[in-house]
Amino acid sequence: MNNFNDPLEAEEATLNKKTELPLIWLLPVIAFLVSGWLVYKAVSEKGPEITIDFPTAEGLEVDKTKIKYLDVEIGNVTAIAINEDQKTIRVSARLNRDAENYLKENTRFWVVKPQVGLAGVSGLGTLLSGAYIAIKPGAGNLQQHFIGLPAAPLLKTNNDGTQFILETEDLASLHDGTPINFHGINAGEVISHKLNGQGNAIQLTVFVNAPFDKFVRKHSRFWIDSGIDLSAGADGVKVRTGPLISLLGGGIAFHASDTDTLTDIQPENSVFKLYETYEKSTQVIYSNPLKYVMFFTGSLRGLTEGAPVQMRGITIGKVVEIGLEIDEKNNDIRTPVVVELEMARIKQIHRRHNLSDTAILQQLIGQGLRAQLQTGSLLTGQLLVDLAFHVQGKFPPTPNINSTGYPEFPTTPSTLDEFSQSSQAIMAKIAKLPLQELTEQANQTLQGLQSTAKATSKMLDTANNTLGTADKTFHSAQKVLGTFEPGSTRHYELDKLIQELTESAKSVKQLTDFLEQHPDALLRGKKQEESP
Amino acid sequence: MKINTALAQGLVRCHSCGCLGKRDIRLTKCPLCASPLHGRQPHSVQKTLAYLLSAYLLYIPANIFPIMTVTKLGAGEPHTIIGGIIALINSDMLPIALLVLVASILVPLLKLIGISLLLLYVQRGWTGDAYRWTVMYRIISFVGRWSMLDIFMISILVALVDMGSISEVLAGPAATAFGAVVVLTMLAAKSFDPRLIWDNQNKP
Repeated sequence: MNNFNDPLEAEEATLNKKTELPLIWLLPVIAFLVSGWLVYKAVSEKGPEITIDFPTAEGLEVDKTKIKYLDVEIGNVTAIAINEDQKTIRVSARLNRDAENYLKENTRFWVVKPQVGLAGVSGLGTLLSGAYIAIKPGAGNLQQHFIGLPAAPLLKTNNDGTQFILETEDLASLHDGTPINFHGINAGEVISHKLNGQGNAIQLTVFVNAPFDKFVRKHSRFWIDSGIDLSAGADGVKVRTGPLISLLGGGIAFHASDTDTLTDIQPENSVFKLYETYEKSTQVIYSNPLKYVMFFTGSLRGLTEGAPVQMRGITIGKVVEIGLEIDEKNNDIRTPVVVELEMARIKQIHRRHNLSDTAILQQLIGQGLRAQLQTGSLLTGQLLVDLAFHVQGKFPPTPNINSTGYPEFPTTPSTLDEFSQSSQAIMAKIAKLPLQELTEQANQTLQGLQSTAKATSKMLDTANNTLGTADKTFHSAQKVLGTFEPGSTRHYELDKLIQELTESAKSVKQLTDFLEQHPDALLRGKKQEESP
Repeated sequence: MKINTALAQGLVRCHSCGCLGKRDIRLTKCPLCASPLHGRQPHSVQKTLAYLLSAYLLYIPANIFPIMTVTKLGAGEPHTIIGGIIALINSDMLPIALLVLVASILVPLLKLIGISLLLLYVQRGWTGDAYRWTVMYRIISFVGRWSMLDIFMISILVALVDMGSISEVLAGPAATAFGAVVVLTMLAAKSFDPRLIWDNQNKP
């Protein structure tokens, strides 16, 4: 069938075309807006692309590794490549738009990894999430390429505070991050260390946090506050320890001086000396010490550089140099000892202003002030230099020009030297004794004694014979006595005799008794017994 | 070839109840259910075009933005659709990669192209193989709901894998856009009246 000219269809068709449907066209507009907004947002969020050089890409992964500031994600790594020098790697990273302001010349980048150390555990979160790159914004011009730090900087944020320089001879247990204590409060830390220009000392850059940096003043002293400081003195044993963390990992402490005021607050990067112990830091430093050279006779064993120079037991200086020199003209070996005398330690009364310290010392030397080596400790044999008045009279300086260039200070032999000298004299006297003659005489005496002994021997022989005779006599006596042994006739007879004698004695006794009672019986004879 | 369509024979079928009625200028409502009667889907081409354009526009963010962020042990890793497929290929999961490629890239893209061609066919008055075009339309409208595979997977993962910083899945902006693309293509397919293909055959 052919219904092509159906009027209804035509009508329908015109109806279809006439009716506009604008509402449905909102949909593509919305779709356009949505996708357009999404794209715009993505594009607008895309910030600058930067490159960072790192020594190693350990822990870094493309697209995964984030760049964070204060733990807020501000970008991520887009590529990692090895640099042309083949020693470092170059990390490309895209940052958010708002991170643009951080990209300055002094901005620092470093990789945060989990770390376990004496000072604590850090970056534990990265154990699970993997390493990330941290950023510390700095000042300067805008920049797109950076050199990453091999390790985290100690100051991760821009704290208020002041930086100072400490000078020490030995780094010892100190390291970057060593805490700095002020009266036991953690007040800062060591940021970096480097050798000084001469290579004879180490300069530590330390950072003291804001409220405490005001106490770093002109006379503030820094000292190494690590370990246990055990000292035994006349007042007992003293133990000083720093904070526990310092015990383990070392520490630095400082204190402010009472004499300093607020005006003495030191500016940034002032240089301080780092003392080895608290005791050393408390010692007063005197300026302008007088240097003298001393020539001691005898051995200097036990004398060390730094040994004290004392006057009446009070330290007024120290030995700074001990040398050995030879005078080639007369092969004289000498030991110049250079000492520093801090005259400021001696309080002056009635000060005469026109007299310099040197002149005063010269006067004292004129009065007999001499240096003498003395044993400081019997246990260790350490020597010290003692200044005391020993001799009157003028001091003739050694004629030879001494090599040190310092004025000479007269010395006197030490007590030990004196002792050895006097013992030497005694020995010499002993050596002078006429020992030969003495021994000869003694010999003769001994010979005389020998002849005497011989005569004595003879005498003894005679005595021996005499004794033999005596022996015989005793024998015969024994025999006689033997005859009186019990059981023998003699013995019996003797017994009998004794009995008879006893009886006789009894009768005599009776007689005497009777006579005692009747003395008249002697005259009248014995009376007859009266009959009862 | 002349196609004797129902409309050509003066017959109109109600879209709602399917009641077939004689076409009449006065008959604008279905005698059975009183729905408005139309010979063809009203504004079919315009509607389809609008849906199609929207789908095209949203297809761009759906592919350039991350569809999901998988956070494993604190390290978040955003994936785009393509990136996910590449990751699957790299981890030797080629079949799954192919499945995702077909479901997430090819099907939506082919659907968009297919509907565009259908529109062109209708508007340009082409008179090609109408049977084939109809089959294509059927496939497009059937396949529509099955390309939501990605969205389905993401919605399950987001709900299941939620263990804080240990492991977490977050949907990205592309997921919304992708879902919208799928829905819009379905709507486009639905708003397209396949009878227009056959109407073409009768036009000179």
